[in-house]
Amino acid sequence: MYSTGLNTNQIMRQVIYALALGVSASYIFFGWGIIIQILLGVFSALVIEAAFVVMRGRPALESINDGSAVLTAVLLAISIPSIAPWWIIVVGVAFAIIFGKQLYGGLGSNPFNPAMLGYAFLLISYPLQMTTWPVDFSAFSQAINIIFNALSFDGLSGATRLDEIKTGLSLGNNLATMQVYSTSQAWINAGFLVGGIYLLARKVIFWHIPVAFLSGIVVMALLVAVLDSQTHLPVQSHLMLGGTMLGAFFIATDPVSASTTPKGRLIYGFLIGVLIVVIRNYGGYPDGVAFAVLLINMTVPLIDHYTQPKVFGRS
Amino acid sequence: MSSQSYPGGVVIANPYPVDQVKIIQSPLPDKVVLPLQQRIGEEALPCVEVGDRVLTGQVIAQTEDHFCVPIHASISGIVTAIDKQAIPHKSGLKATCISIESDGQDEWIKSQGCGSDFLHCDKQTIIDYIQHSGIVGLGGAGFPSHAKLNKAIDCHTLIINGTECEPGMMCDEALMQHHPREVIRGVEILLHITGAQQAIIAIENDKQEAYQSLLMFNHNDKISFAQLPTKYTSGAEKLLIKALLDVEIPSGGFAADKGILCQNVSSVKAIFDAVIDKRPLVSRIVTITGDALTPTNVEVRLGTSFEQVISLTDVNNQAHDYRMGGMMMGVDIETTQMPICKITNCIFVNNKTLKQPAKECIRCNTCNTVCPIGLLPQQLYWHAKSENIEKCTDYHLSDCIECACCSYVCPSNIDLVSYFSFAKALDKKQTADQERIDIARDRFEFREYRLDRNKEERSQMMAEKKQALKEKMAKDKEQGLEQTDKIAQAMARVKKTKEDNV
Repeated sequence: MYSTGLNTNQIMRQVIYALALGVSASYIFFGWGIIIQILLGVFSALVIEAAFVVMRGRPALESINDGSAVLTAVLLAISIPSIAPWWIIVVGVAFAIIFGKQLYGGLGSNPFNPAMLGYAFLLISYPLQMTTWPVDFSAFSQAINIIFNALSFDGLSGATRLDEIKTGLSLGNNLATMQVYSTSQAWINAGFLVGGIYLLARKVIFWHIPVAFLSGIVVMALLVAVLDSQTHLPVQSHLMLGGTMLGAFFIATDPVSASTTPKGRLIYGFLIGVLIVVIRNYGGYPDGVAFAVLLINMTVPLIDHYTQPKVFGRS
Repeated sequence: MSSQSYPGGVVIANPYPVDQVKIIQSPLPDKVVLPLQQRIGEEALPCVEVGDRVLTGQVIAQTEDHFCVPIHASISGIVTAIDKQAIPHKSGLKATCISIESDGQDEWIKSQGCGSDFLHCDKQTIIDYIQHSGIVGLGGAGFPSHAKLNKAIDCHTLIINGTECEPGMMCDEALMQHHPREVIRGVEILLHITGAQQAIIAIENDKQEAYQSLLMFNHNDKISFAQLPTKYTSGAEKLLIKALLDVEIPSGGFAADKGILCQNVSSVKAIFDAVIDKRPLVSRIVTITGDALTPTNVEVRLGTSFEQVISLTDVNNQAHDYRMGGMMMGVDIETTQMPICKITNCIFVNNKTLKQPAKECIRCNTCNTVCPIGLLPQQLYWHAKSENIEKCTDYHLSDCIECACCSYVCPSNIDLVSYFSFAKALDKKQTADQERIDIARDRFEFREYRLDRNKEERSQMMAEKKQALKEKMAKDKEQGLEQTDKIAQAMARVKKTKEDNV
């Protein structure tokens, strides 16, 4: 037919480009780690995707060209600690692509967000490596040494702000005595927010999911803060810490695993936002984007079924 | 008249614009091929034989079915064959056609009609004229006009569809521009038949010249105009009614149920020809467009081959892709050795290009936003692909008007609408199969019941017989006793007589 607008490959590329600002922010604060992770991730994604597609007897080049494997790898590389050892991202990408996508039948058939499936797999399997975050800028050679040679990084690493808060609260400390903001995280989140707005403007994503996602966080955070503001994070912290903006604009908006009806997308986004706040406050993990997305992915068929739009001529 | 819009649909710039919308008169063809199968209804039976001479406008095939219209010779000449030939249908199958070789005289048969004094004609008589003139919806649906009219007697509003929203198509535009008088008079005939209080002629706002020429010829205050925004699918009947009158025809319902009659503007002109000029439908205007030629319109006799019509244009000598019907709703065709039919409104001749292969659906939702009916094409696609008809029905497959807006916007280049027509066909087949199965089962169950009943009846009958026999035997026995008595008495009498005699 006569095509218009962006095609599927271009959509994937636009999403990858829009990640640039957030990645740059991460680079400015923490150095080369994230760049190396992304390159490693993309390389392994291409190899794994090609190998698997060939095994399935499909044309490999077409599949690689669609950009979805690359996008999955970039999203996962951004989500993990930038100083994680090299095999973390390789294993994660392999899991994401093979178990998250190809085994379901490839692009378009996966019920779960592949990058988040890979992330959840890594977090459960390698909790130590997945919770050791950089605290300072690392130069190229330093980053290479840390990632490939398992150079000791004491003094360079620590927990994330959300992790610190969780630990602090579990020790019975009061929020008033803790740091509930983080400049680096705020900038990284801001970077992804701007990238997300770009995607909205290019009509690569629709507004429903991000808006509902952020509303879910705000509503739930306000609600629990009313219960007890001493042990529950303020709304601003929820918005500017952890994977909030990346989740709202780049993860939850993955069309394949999201709800497809307009009303359904609002419910879907809102539920993820609510669940993130619940996990951050009451769950076992400091951040909850991946688990919230995966859990709500499971409800998509149900949401879709009950939110069908009105059909012309039917009441 | 205010014009509203509707959700969904797509705005598409005319891919092949022209400076002037002209109509070329095609010369008489040497030969025409007229299919006996129409868009709707059963195949007509030929009432001529090979070798017969026929006149233009003569009925050459018809059916008993009152729903169908007869088929007329579109030229005068000799019937040379009645056999299977390629017809313009998306199945690509062949069908029985009558071929006529022209004698070059174009001698017309005298047909019946009202003449210009149609107001004195009885409504039903006019509808009969319309039927006998072979008029069907010329917009592309091919629904017989008389059948629509019969349902719409006593409707209150008439909508004349001149929207022609298919990008690139301009046969209706040309007709309105060059035959405004016939169109307006045709509308008056319909007003007379239906007794409607108003008629609205709907035109897209990019057809200003057509609008102006109609406006100039309209002196009837029952007839008004509505200019609609240029957006694809505004010509779909139910959507048009919604946009003009804010009336939503229920799913599965008809416009006539709400007192509305919708007719295509070309059909209206054909009604004028039939009723006033007493000429049956033997020609139509076809748009020939595409990037391989200068787009134009050709008025052509029905049954002329596509090839001959295309040769009237300045078509280039390269390899071509052909498509018939609209850019959106039409179908790609392999050959041009096919006859123009009543519903052949447009032929695309494009320089051959490589088709982009389809990719996987990423459920991006773009199709949902353009569906004018409010369906979820990507869900339907998913279920149609896996041939899950039950799920398709859940998602209201039957409401799909196959406008192809979803296919048009799909970033993965998936021809969604072909999946939907496939699923609809499958549904139809499964329903028919199920019906057959049901009938067979009913028949089997009835047979079982009948056998049982027979058995029972027989055993009852036997029992009754047995009883009767028993009773008879008992009676006989009694009678037997009586008999013995009588014998004894007789013997006694004899004895007595003997004794007396002694």
